[in-house]
Amino acid sequence: MTYRDTLSGRPWRRAALSLFVGILLWPTDMFVGSTAQAETLRIAHPLGNGGKENVDPIHRNRFYPVTVMLYDGLLRPDEAGRPSPSLATQWESSPDLREWIFILREGVTFHDGSALDSDDVVFSLRRVLSEEIGSPLRSTLAIMAEIEALDDRTVRITLDAPNADFPTMIMHYLFRVVSSEGQDESLDAIYESGVGTGPFKLTTLDAEGTTVLEANPDYWDGAPGVPMVEVIAIPDSEARIQALLAGQLDLVRRVNPQQLALFQNRDGFEVQTFATGDWTSLVMRTDTPPFDDVRVRRALRLLVDREAIVRTVLGEAGGSVSCDTPVWPGDPYHVAQECPPDLEEARRLLAEAGYPDGLDVELHTSGLNALMVEVAQVYQAQAAEAGVRVNVRMAPSDGYWSNVWMQRPFVAAVWSQRPAAQILSEAFLSGANWNDSFWDNEEFDALLAEARATIDFEERKAVYARAQQLIWEDGGSMIAFFPNRVRAYSDTLSGVQPVHDFFLRWHEITKAE
Amino acid sequence: MLANLLTRTLSGFVTLVVVLVIVFFALEALPGDACTAYLERDARDALLAACRERFGLDEPVPARFSSWAMALASGDLGTSILRDRPVGDILWPRFRNTALLAGVAAAMAVPIALVFGTLAALRQDGVFDIAASTVVLVAMTVPEFVIATVLVFIFAIWLQWAPAVVTVSAGAPVGDLIGAIALPAAVLTTTLVAHAMRVHRATVVEYLAFEFVEAARLRGLPKWRIVLFDVLPAALPPTLSVTAVSLAGVLGGVVIIERVFNYPGLGTLALQAILERDLPVLQGAVAVFAVTYVLLAITADLLTELLDPRTRRGTS
Repeated sequence: MTYRDTLSGRPWRRAALSLFVGILLWPTDMFVGSTAQAETLRIAHPLGNGGKENVDPIHRNRFYPVTVMLYDGLLRPDEAGRPSPSLATQWESSPDLREWIFILREGVTFHDGSALDSDDVVFSLRRVLSEEIGSPLRSTLAIMAEIEALDDRTVRITLDAPNADFPTMIMHYLFRVVSSEGQDESLDAIYESGVGTGPFKLTTLDAEGTTVLEANPDYWDGAPGVPMVEVIAIPDSEARIQALLAGQLDLVRRVNPQQLALFQNRDGFEVQTFATGDWTSLVMRTDTPPFDDVRVRRALRLLVDREAIVRTVLGEAGGSVSCDTPVWPGDPYHVAQECPPDLEEARRLLAEAGYPDGLDVELHTSGLNALMVEVAQVYQAQAAEAGVRVNVRMAPSDGYWSNVWMQRPFVAAVWSQRPAAQILSEAFLSGANWNDSFWDNEEFDALLAEARATIDFEERKAVYARAQQLIWEDGGSMIAFFPNRVRAYSDTLSGVQPVHDFFLRWHEITKAE
Repeated sequence: MLANLLTRTLSGFVTLVVVLVIVFFALEALPGDACTAYLERDARDALLAACRERFGLDEPVPARFSSWAMALASGDLGTSILRDRPVGDILWPRFRNTALLAGVAAAMAVPIALVFGTLAALRQDGVFDIAASTVVLVAMTVPEFVIATVLVFIFAIWLQWAPAVVTVSAGAPVGDLIGAIALPAAVLTTTLVAHAMRVHRATVVEYLAFEFVEAARLRGLPKWRIVLFDVLPAALPPTLSVTAVSLAGVLGGVVIIERVFNYPGLGTLALQAILERDLPVLQGAVAVFAVTYVLLAITADLLTELLDPRTRRGTS
């Protein structure tokens, strides 16, 4: 049997031939360009909830930023960050600051055509308190004791204690008004219809792919500038930038400092930098030695060169210095403070506290957020100059919030922008759920209560200023800066305001062809 | 032959079980769980305890392992911890998409490897051969994500011929995916071509030196005829078998390629499941990867046996 014979009668010949033909006939039109949609605003979302995203605005799995396009809040911040009308046009409190009355805008309709009335607002507020839904907003708004409709357009909220800043609390980006129609008064159900009063209506919900919204032509604040919005799931941050550069996206909400270089010398894109109230802190547990000694924690904060941290860590994007207060420059209660490094005073305080030769501390951080690692490293270098030997320990990102934060004596943490009225009670009031420095200062607690009960804004601001001064003198959190944020978008877009995403007015964005 | 197949299937099954057990305990050894991943800063006290109780995470490890293993043995992949959906429903479209990507890549890689491998072998040590071998070496050593990034910059950002990322979801019709598959498939093809072409070239070179080629030439048959009808068909089995093995070998690369191109396949799902600590989903994805790997390896072996006359004679 020759080799030829073995092969004869077998289909190899034909197979080999057809493979070659196959190459020639391989469809060449596969590499067609992307489908450019001239008028659609295309943005990405990071699939943060892994496809479990829903359109319930207050839910932990809320599909942000879709929810802020579908629904409106009662109030929204004006250019100075102060409460201004949205679905509510007027609001006022009783003299004791416990009862708040909101008057609703006239003639507002939901996407299904039904009219907005006070029942919808009452329903929306009550479900925030549902234990079953478990909204992240629940603890913030738990101060609401009673919510009732006085008439079609009037809602009264009674608080369990006076609070002059209740309008600021209700302005939280998570609080949105949904329709009570067809909800059977059930306050515990997830709101899934997507029916709101917002500038865009839900057409297709596909969190893992492309979600499509269309303009609501009857929007009370004017018809949106684009007829359609596509929200595309792209978890990888590099892939989002590539999609923008390739013309598949019109706007990327967040650009890392390292990615900024990609936009230099490249036509067709705008890079927008804006200030935020986000912060990164190094937190000492004030109930644990050696940080239970105010001289130690003061020394460990005094030695910090904040300007240098801003330069080193934030790079080109930049940011503003903080003197350990979480109240950012865009907040009405921000007070200008100065806190240059004072190594001598730091050394003196340490010596007084019994550490004449400096001290050794362990600082836990994690790759959960790049800033947490970078701040810890720069801090380590700066502390060494004051004789404080910092051992930076990298903890796993997995379970960081449960196993390290609020557990270890000295840790790094990140927070997103919050108004003073909220954050000071959320993270600094004694006994608060997120009081991560375990700070227990009666004077501070009293100042917060006083501020909330003070009617006059300037007087209130003065009280808040004293509270912040107290944080500087006695607190356990080192907060060095508020970073700027950078977004990038195609230069076919206009009307992108330089404000935090939470409060971006998406309907004012227009797109040229 | 049949006994051989049985042995291989059995050893493949054992491999699968070992892999699944390792994944279970590896994920268990990490700090945190699905509830700490889900609740983040709120993962404390009562809220954390309630979440763990709801998803059965409060039970001890051995108990969870046995209930998971029992369910799996009866063919139940389980329910995603946080998505409230059967794992099978989540996996299936993802598997289809990854299979599509791998299939397209293999279908492109084999003919290319055959043509270029043969040409290189015919002009052994010629300019084309050296050039092709160099390119192959580079393609085999450069990581997939680098190739991917370079292709994206050239074809998606600079020329804008192909989309940079896939924007459709996992359940989209195949037609929607095909349009966006060009670049990820090209990266995978590059890797596959490199492996297959190298083997194919070597085999053809080897066969060209055989006596039957010389004999055929002496009988006056043109060289192209001998190559096309004698040498190539004989060299095909090793090439196909290597392609199958490399396809199994690049499964890890598929995870990276899918992530870079935002491709809704098993790889991106597995990554997401790790981040979310969604054990049932991760186990499912790993199981599919492991089964695929084992099947491809068996296929490669069988191909070699069935197609190559020499090994067939040896085993029968």
